[in-house]
Amino acid sequence: MLRAIPWRYFDFWLLGAVVLATAFGTTMIRSAVAGNEVLLPLINRQIYFAFAGLVLIFVVAAIDYRFWLAIYRPMFLVIVAFLVTLTGFGQTAFGAQRWFQVGVLFLQPTEFAKIVSILVLARYFDAAQHRPRDLQWVGGAIAWASVIIILILLQPNLSNVVVLTVILMSMLWFNGMQMKHIMLFGILALILVASFVALSVAGIRIPFLQAYQQERIVNFLLPDPDATFGATYNVQQALIAIGSGGLFGAGYGYGTQTQLRFLKVRHTDFIFSAISEEFGLVGALFVILVIVLIIWRCLRTAQLARDVAGMSIAYGVATLIFFQGMVNIGVNLNIVPVSGLPLPFISYGGSGLTSLMLGIGLVESVAMRYKPLDF
Amino acid sequence: MNSNLTNRYQVAPWRVVVVYGVMFAIIGLIVSRLISLQVITGDTWKDQAIDNYTLTISDPAPRGIILDRNGYILARNVASYNVVITPADLPDDDADVQRVYRELADLTGVPAGGPVTEETLNFAKLFSPCVPGPTIADMVALGASLAPYTPVKIACNVNEKLARIIGEKTVDLPGVAIEIEPVRDYPTGSLTANVVGFLGPIPAALQEVYEARGFVTNRDKVGYAGVEASLDDILTGKNGLRVVQRDVAGAILRNLEPPIPSTPGKNVVLTLDSRLQKAAEAALLDEIDYWNNRYFGYIRISSGVVIAMNPKTGEILAMVTYPTYENNRMARFIPGYYYEQLSQDPRRPLVNNAISAELAPGSVYKLTTATGAFNEGVIKLGQIVKTPGKLTLCERFSPNDPCTEANSRPFVDWIYERNGVINEAGFGALDFYRCIAYSSNVCFYKLGGGFEDEIPEGLGIFRLGEYARALGYGARSGIQLPGEEDGLVPSPQWKRINTGENWSTGDTYIASVGQGYVLGTPLQVLMSGAVIANRGKLMQPTIVREVQDDEGRVIPLWFDPETFSLYEEQQVEDRNGQFRTMWVNPVNPSDARLSPPEGSYQISPFTPTMKWDITRDPLINEWSCEAGYCDQTGQVKTVAPETVEAVRTGTRMAVTENPSGTLYRVFNVDYPLPIAIAGKTGTAEYCDDVARQANRCQFGAWPTHAWTLAYAPYDDPEIIVVAFAYNGGEGGTVAAPIVARVLQAYFELKSIDIAQGGGG
Repeated sequence: MLRAIPWRYFDFWLLGAVVLATAFGTTMIRSAVAGNEVLLPLINRQIYFAFAGLVLIFVVAAIDYRFWLAIYRPMFLVIVAFLVTLTGFGQTAFGAQRWFQVGVLFLQPTEFAKIVSILVLARYFDAAQHRPRDLQWVGGAIAWASVIIILILLQPNLSNVVVLTVILMSMLWFNGMQMKHIMLFGILALILVASFVALSVAGIRIPFLQAYQQERIVNFLLPDPDATFGATYNVQQALIAIGSGGLFGAGYGYGTQTQLRFLKVRHTDFIFSAISEEFGLVGALFVILVIVLIIWRCLRTAQLARDVAGMSIAYGVATLIFFQGMVNIGVNLNIVPVSGLPLPFISYGGSGLTSLMLGIGLVESVAMRYKPLDF
Repeated sequence: MNSNLTNRYQVAPWRVVVVYGVMFAIIGLIVSRLISLQVITGDTWKDQAIDNYTLTISDPAPRGIILDRNGYILARNVASYNVVITPADLPDDDADVQRVYRELADLTGVPAGGPVTEETLNFAKLFSPCVPGPTIADMVALGASLAPYTPVKIACNVNEKLARIIGEKTVDLPGVAIEIEPVRDYPTGSLTANVVGFLGPIPAALQEVYEARGFVTNRDKVGYAGVEASLDDILTGKNGLRVVQRDVAGAILRNLEPPIPSTPGKNVVLTLDSRLQKAAEAALLDEIDYWNNRYFGYIRISSGVVIAMNPKTGEILAMVTYPTYENNRMARFIPGYYYEQLSQDPRRPLVNNAISAELAPGSVYKLTTATGAFNEGVIKLGQIVKTPGKLTLCERFSPNDPCTEANSRPFVDWIYERNGVINEAGFGALDFYRCIAYSSNVCFYKLGGGFEDEIPEGLGIFRLGEYARALGYGARSGIQLPGEEDGLVPSPQWKRINTGENWSTGDTYIASVGQGYVLGTPLQVLMSGAVIANRGKLMQPTIVREVQDDEGRVIPLWFDPETFSLYEEQQVEDRNGQFRTMWVNPVNPSDARLSPPEGSYQISPFTPTMKWDITRDPLINEWSCEAGYCDQTGQVKTVAPETVEAVRTGTRMAVTENPSGTLYRVFNVDYPLPIAIAGKTGTAEYCDDVARQANRCQFGAWPTHAWTLAYAPYDDPEIIVVAFAYNGGEGGTVAAPIVARVLQAYFELKSIDIAQGGGG
């Protein structure tokens, strides 16, 4: 059976880029938490997760991705069950319920829910590939996705709702959604977002949202010029960190913003700022390049995939990595409101890293089974 | 499987192209933003990063100490102990923190406090550090939220024993420490408060000025009074500066620049002899106590002044004012109620009355009239003046006023009415010496204002003013003490401007005996005596003997009384690399001169400075009068040495003439001294707000200030003392004993010093 696994099509470029990004991320986390005894164990924890993740890539790659499509119903039910329980029993951190404590591990089902959503949607698009691209076809995809989206919205976790929506949109796009439907939903979304922003700026509470989420949007749109230590403090410190890095950076372990802890949550949300400070423009471009490389390998796999499911999985994972990465960097550069999305493969976070590794494993699985015309 | 390959849905290539396009647009946006931040505006962000971690710390410079002439400490810095908690150093465990709070509460008496809530924090926010009220838990919680590495003061100024107990326990009480804060201490307290002064916070109005000089508002203190204020510029020293790197919590990591150490303030040695100061204070207080509590049985003498000076050098040996204040009570902070009480007191205890009170000098002013009258030839040696008990003179407001019953009024001598007995004859007839020795008012009325054919032309108010100024009246002495007043040498013009009336003949009579409009400070009265005692030479009165650096080296220093600026004599390298002597303002080094500024004089190392010599410096303007209108002729002249000698003889005879010399009794019977003493008494009628309220401002009922001025030894005076008692009564009986006791103490101390091999 093992001999049947087509390892020769395993994408080592993709694996290499992922290993590079993870190794670089771990190194940067070490610099970011230096001097903070409470955060020191995070380095080793991230290393364990990284190695476990690499093993996971090979395990998932070895399994034909169609196996997951076959068991999509129990998988979907399990993740829904987790998300439902989470709203009741999860640990509350920073106002939103996102974690399950299992022993020493804090599990974030939301991270895994993204992968499950990609799989479930891939199964749907595969099954419905010959149907006309009418509203019913669109509605089917939305129906599957919205179960998970609504549960995450109830946590409430606005950023991941947006991530899932973007993944859904991207998969709809690649599967041939009609332009007129795109326009229709685009206008609907615009109205929704506009009213959301208007209400937030006006200071009216919106159900299912935390006050801080609305505040963040207001702060982004209308920054208070006097609020040095207020809500804009973190972003301001991030800009100082990035800007002071210059072309080549202060050097590993020598960034004053990072080492003297002026930069907050520097091992997760603002790790890109820490990198930019210590490695400068060169380091920042390197990180972007590695992420682009990963995305490019995923897109390439999508184009080579032998079926619609494989293609959809690869496009979904590529969208996930691209969107999270760019939003995170955008937050660091103050061109996107503060969201709390991690930088893929680089930010600290076990669940996030593991779920991304799962996604890469799935893409590898697709890549290995594309069956080129090799005679 | 194969069917899937051929029959499956294919993505339209344009859809992929659009996605790639969007991707690269977004990445392009991010990269351009990165370049803009890191390359184009990188430097400004770098500055902000430096700003974040750079902390400038001012190291307080120890303030210079103040000593008396014998090295006795008058002002010093002592350690004050504060119990502090550094929130960041407290244990991690809440139970341990509570234990620390409880133990500290038991030791200091500050409540440990219960759970910290918004309410308790808001209450704690109302208090300044060191003010009791909030609990330990609240104070620490407040401090921790602001700057966890900044120590929070839990209890201030605890006694040394408690400080040591807590200091030893700090091993068991993590986070707790004893902070040592320097506090000014005045070992002599109220005895020298009027001279030494006190400190206070940097006033808001001068905050910028002081901060530019490196002072820290709310920490550093500046002089508010006395020498602490006038020599503040050199007492303060210069604060050190450290530029350090800090982390976000405020922990200091390292020096970014080589630290500049603080320069300690200079030490000031005063001319005061605290032993004599104590003796003078005792003499003044005893005398006041005697009259108030034993003789009159009510508070009659409300305030008093004693000054002792060496007339040959101008060194002030003692300067006592009563009432005064306790400057140690202002050492940590100025208590509002105490300051209020002092500033509302009509006797003005906060003010150094020795230099700031403007008083009628009374008969001691006769030294002026005598000097003028003799020098101008109004009276000659051997000439006898008739001195009945009472003169009736007309009050003329212009030369042509007729002399009638209506404008005639009596001018009495001080012996005219004594204890209800009328003495019509008065002193009878006196020569010049005895006019001074007996202090005959009638004689001086005549000398000052003229009398019929006997003294056809008196000295007159204009010439009287010339001699008053020559003896030191009418201008600040320029001593190194703040708040000095200039007194008043009245002139007809002054009267017209200030009262709207013409000068009258009566005004001249009254002014001739130091009453009416004439005002002088006790120091000016002392100076007038010193000119006579020192045979015409007026030495600059000085309170500072020398200024030393922290290693005891004497610093050459000049003082400009006009601006109260100090100038240090230094060797300064000029542009050509050559060294030249320059006078540099220590506060403002750009204020450097090639010679000491006009009007300034050397205060360290001690060099006697002569203000003037009336026998050599032509200080007297000549006046010519025609039909009552007088003008300066433009001619100037000196005072003849014989004049000064004649006045000196008069002052000596005040002590030697038995029995009518005004100082005969006190220096020959009550306080006999084996040293030749000379002097002059004064009993000055006055009318001020207090007297007016007591309805005493009526003819014959006026209250009197008691004055006495005396110097010794007569041949070569080395000490001159003035004593003043407000509403004291007669100078000879109230003020003279004070002077006598101070002179006694002076010569006793001198013999002790000689016996011990020293020399005053």
